[in-house]
Amino acid sequence: MPIMTRRFVLAAASVAVTCAARGAAAQQIDLGRATGFIQATGNELVAAINASNLTAAVRRERVAQILRRAVDVDGVGRFILGRWWRAATPEQQAEYMQLFEQVLLRNLSARFGEYQGVRFSLGRTQARTEEDALVSTIVERPSTPPFGLDWRVAEIGGAPKVVDVIAEGTSLRLTTRSEYSSVITRNNGNVGALLVAMRQQIQQLTQREGA
Amino acid sequence: MIVGHLPRSVLALVCAAAVGLGACATRPDPADTEAVEEFRANNDPLEPLNRGMYFVNEGLDTLVIRPAAEAYRIFLPPELRSGVRNVLGNLRTPVILVNDLLQGETDRAGVTIGRFVLNTTLGVGGIFDVATGFGLPGHAEDFGQTLAIWGVSEGPYLFIPFLGPSNPRDLVGFGVDAASNPLTWISGNEFFDAATNTRIVLQGLDTREGLIEPLDAVRNSSLDPYATIRSAYRQRRAAEIMNRDTAAPAARGTGFGAGTGGAGQAR
Repeated sequence: MPIMTRRFVLAAASVAVTCAARGAAAQQIDLGRATGFIQATGNELVAAINASNLTAAVRRERVAQILRRAVDVDGVGRFILGRWWRAATPEQQAEYMQLFEQVLLRNLSARFGEYQGVRFSLGRTQARTEEDALVSTIVERPSTPPFGLDWRVAEIGGAPKVVDVIAEGTSLRLTTRSEYSSVITRNNGNVGALLVAMRQQIQQLTQREGA
Repeated sequence: MIVGHLPRSVLALVCAAAVGLGACATRPDPADTEAVEEFRANNDPLEPLNRGMYFVNEGLDTLVIRPAAEAYRIFLPPELRSGVRNVLGNLRTPVILVNDLLQGETDRAGVTIGRFVLNTTLGVGGIFDVATGFGLPGHAEDFGQTLAIWGVSEGPYLFIPFLGPSNPRDLVGFGVDAASNPLTWISGNEFFDAATNTRIVLQGLDTREGLIEPLDAVRNSSLDPYATIRSAYRQRRAAEIMNRDTAAPAARGTGFGAGTGGAGQAR
């Protein structure tokens, strides 16, 4: 019964593959671990932002260092490029990753740079999907209304990492995916156009930081 | 589900009218399922028309609206702007209360009444938000959210000069909220008319003032601010409809994902 056998082998193989994939991806993160990770990272960020004895440039660099460690930059970058990842050539993929890291860290650290006197408090932590947890924080700055900032945390390669930031219900990951995809779609599906725009943006950000 | 989707015929009609102006978005190749999925998720079949309106609004905003909001911030001290924001939020009580009730949220309706009583009396006519200190933080509601709870779908995304991002459901909600606010109907002499106009202008200034930094950030950091605002607006409205209240629930709530609904502290 060669056909039966082959079918059986195929079925068994597909089950095995599915299980393996599940095993690799569905690493349920411990909620306490996720909370502790955000608390530690948040404290580090607040300390770096409020270090008033340092220059703005040094503070920004420290914030960028902390973020580079805490954020799953590769995973977030892949998620954001979404369906265009496969349309990109390997060279484009490599350049995109490199540009994305710069854009993300510069944008975030430039924004956090304005947060002098910032404080944060932890809210509740809940399991969101099979793989990640959502840690809620409330960010307070002097003389501005407090706002909710949620951190999506997943276990990546044995360490907890931030995979999304959600400000007042708006996910950074989803919003940026929409933005990048719109740029590519409006350029007739040319991923290169996005890379050009990102390069220009980094140039502008560098100029503004220097100013 | 009381009311279903926006009638397809209406959408087809709008689209047909818009096609005359070259305003309908090109539909993706049906074979490309991911592209189709994205087109559906963006919910923006009138994108070219909307982008035109966005462009018009950018001009208006740069020339008139943002400078007015800047002037409002510069000339009024933060304490006064906080007071204005609190009063506007307090005056919005009837709208919030009606929508709390229409959504069956009796606990939240109780909070809305409690806030109104405390802030109007101890808070000197709503100038001070004392209710938050008594454990009654404010929240926003609008008829667009009520329609969503009732099962009305949002319809195609719309960008409207002066008002900003919206959709047919939220636009209807905006009109119903204005009509259901008793203050809209108090008129008859010059004083009341002037008071109503002042309220509307202050509402606009307060809303735009609160958005100076967020909108500047989008303009500076987004490669396509139109797409960013579209995505952010729809996510924010979804969160509002689910009452996923965050730390400053009442600071926004005009039905446009921004604006005064209750308490808030000016910068």
